[in-house]
Amino acid sequence: MLNALSKLFRNTLFRLSLLGTLLFTVSVLISLAYVYFATISSELRRVDQELIVEMDQLQEVYDTYGPGTLRQLVLTRIGAKTGAYELVVSADEMISNIITENEQRIIEMLKETESLIFEYNQIQAVTGLDENGREIIEETESRRYRARSGYLFNALGQPVASLVVGKDVESLRRTADRVRNAMITSSLIALVLGLLSSLFVSRRFTRRVEAFNRLATDVRAGQLDRRAPRDYSEDELDLLAEHLNAMLDHIDRLMKAMRYAGDSIAHDLRSPLTRLRTRLESSASEVKDPKAIDSLYAAAEDADELLATFDKVLRIARLEAGEQREMLKEMDPKTVLTDMAEFYEPACEDANLSFELDAKDNNFILADRGLLSQAVSNLVENAIKYTPEGGKVRLELYRNKANRVVVAVTDNGPGIPATERERVKERFVRLDKSRTAPGSGLGLAMVDAIATLHKAEFALEDGMESEFGPGLSVQIIFPRRRQLRQAPAEKDSE
Amino acid sequence: MRILVVEDDAVAAEYVRKGLMEAGHVVDLAPDGDLGLEMARAAEYDALILDRMLPKLDGLELLESLREDGDSTPVLILSALGEVDQKVEGLRAGGDDYLAKPYAFTELLARVEAIGRRSDPTAAVTKLKVGELEMDLLARTVKRDGQNILLQPREFRLLECLMRNAGQVVTRTMLLEKVWDYHFDPQTNVIDVHISRLRGKIDKEFESPMLHTVRGAGYRLQV
Repeated sequence: MLNALSKLFRNTLFRLSLLGTLLFTVSVLISLAYVYFATISSELRRVDQELIVEMDQLQEVYDTYGPGTLRQLVLTRIGAKTGAYELVVSADEMISNIITENEQRIIEMLKETESLIFEYNQIQAVTGLDENGREIIEETESRRYRARSGYLFNALGQPVASLVVGKDVESLRRTADRVRNAMITSSLIALVLGLLSSLFVSRRFTRRVEAFNRLATDVRAGQLDRRAPRDYSEDELDLLAEHLNAMLDHIDRLMKAMRYAGDSIAHDLRSPLTRLRTRLESSASEVKDPKAIDSLYAAAEDADELLATFDKVLRIARLEAGEQREMLKEMDPKTVLTDMAEFYEPACEDANLSFELDAKDNNFILADRGLLSQAVSNLVENAIKYTPEGGKVRLELYRNKANRVVVAVTDNGPGIPATERERVKERFVRLDKSRTAPGSGLGLAMVDAIATLHKAEFALEDGMESEFGPGLSVQIIFPRRRQLRQAPAEKDSE
Repeated sequence: MRILVVEDDAVAAEYVRKGLMEAGHVVDLAPDGDLGLEMARAAEYDALILDRMLPKLDGLELLESLREDGDSTPVLILSALGEVDQKVEGLRAGGDDYLAKPYAFTELLARVEAIGRRSDPTAAVTKLKVGELEMDLLARTVKRDGQNILLQPREFRLLECLMRNAGQVVTRTMLLEKVWDYHFDPQTNVIDVHISRLRGKIDKEFESPMLHTVRGAGYRLQV
């Protein structure tokens, strides 16, 4: 769960759309707040203004007609069942004598705070008298008032009564509440919808991006016929797919052209070289001078060497293109190694090297007999070539600690320094600078290509230590069979 | 032998013709696939040398049409495409042997003579005899001059291959393919080592050597 969440937050699109959602929610909040202040607040200010005017009018009535008239007026006003009536109360009951508990509370508040504007809730009302003359008090809906307090002054400017003028602002307040609720609700809705759409969009986007990633992996593995799925919506991802496919078509064409060029070069270059070789050979059979015969044969051998190198480069290129992967079959490399051992043992004996074969049973791998033989042959020949007389060469087949099948050729010769071990896998790299020893520097490059084709690792390590040096152990480490089997299955399931 | 060479490269074809004629064979040339097929159908040949890449009719198509007619003339396929899978393709189409360009002429000659001889469809041979050297394929025994010679299984197959082509050159590559089933060139003289072992067993204690090295080509077993 946590993992899924952190994965979600690592998703670029999800983060972006989440940010968008938050911004949108904030802007909804801001615009609603503006509506709120623009309507409700200004309305309340207007009410406050009205209350000031009302106060002044009451003072005027008092001044002009005296307290009796004022009292009359106030009572009428209180009695009015309008949505907005004034409420006037006085502390000394000079003006109004109907003081409810509420009003009493207001007067207390007034004395303490002397504040000018406040609101209070009327929570009960007297609706009549019962037969015993007791007041029937009924809970009513709470109504909110906006009120202003002040004093009534006599002609001498002395305060004679406190005065509270109020106005029912319940409906305004309700509107305000509704606006506030609407603000909260719509923000929440925006947030939730935004989150959901972020999830949806990012998942959809991620699925399509993952399709591209899978495609790239497949193409890198040599499946140049794979193409990105298109939905023809012509949105940017669809266009990306289109461009990607066009690019892959182009790469495919180039690869084919390169291979075709390779084949053509092979054909066109080999034919004249064949003729050259034939000419040299037939000349050698015609001349009588033994020196001339020797040099003609030597020239023919040089041509052979040239062609063999050329041939190897082409073979490595083909191996690297991965075309022969379908040739791999399940097999026990033991038979290949036994044959190889038998093939090279006499040569080792002649070179005064002791040769050992140590092949364990039941190590099945996916491999091609010919290619594996070729690889082992290159390795054994290298070992024979570089191990001094009296040395040891060992051919092994075993499972390593990671339960992977290993084919290894180990010697006790001078070895290869650790820093050079990656470099020698490249084409034409030879460690003897003089390049006097026979060979083209393609042997290990070919082993590397063969190993890669088998999805195997190709590792060089120190071998058996001896007076000649640390020795060299060259290992082809095959993948576990389960991995091998999964590879094609994955392809099918898509 | 009468041999038909179907090859579009005129210079290469001429060299092959010249070389084969010097080796005592009768040679006809066909410069393209159509003509090649026509000539192969019109006359009896002991062997066909067929280039894979031909104008008009591809070498493999020619071969397939020929085999559909029931013609079983031995065919050596020549090609610039030296890959093993190409080779398998060629042999599956009905070819008897496959040789990648560039080849040494001696290699071509050795292989053509080997398949030309193979065309003799006599009953399964159980005994081979070359001079005083005798091989019993069923009992897996080898005798020279009545003396038993003990051979390792692979040495036995090596000698068998040489005896079946007695009097002719057998190249290192042919031995590598037929005795070991390897289709790559070892860099070292590993075949020579095996030959010298075999020579040590069949020639060493006898007066006249039978297993000869042919310079620039391979080996020949002869009396």
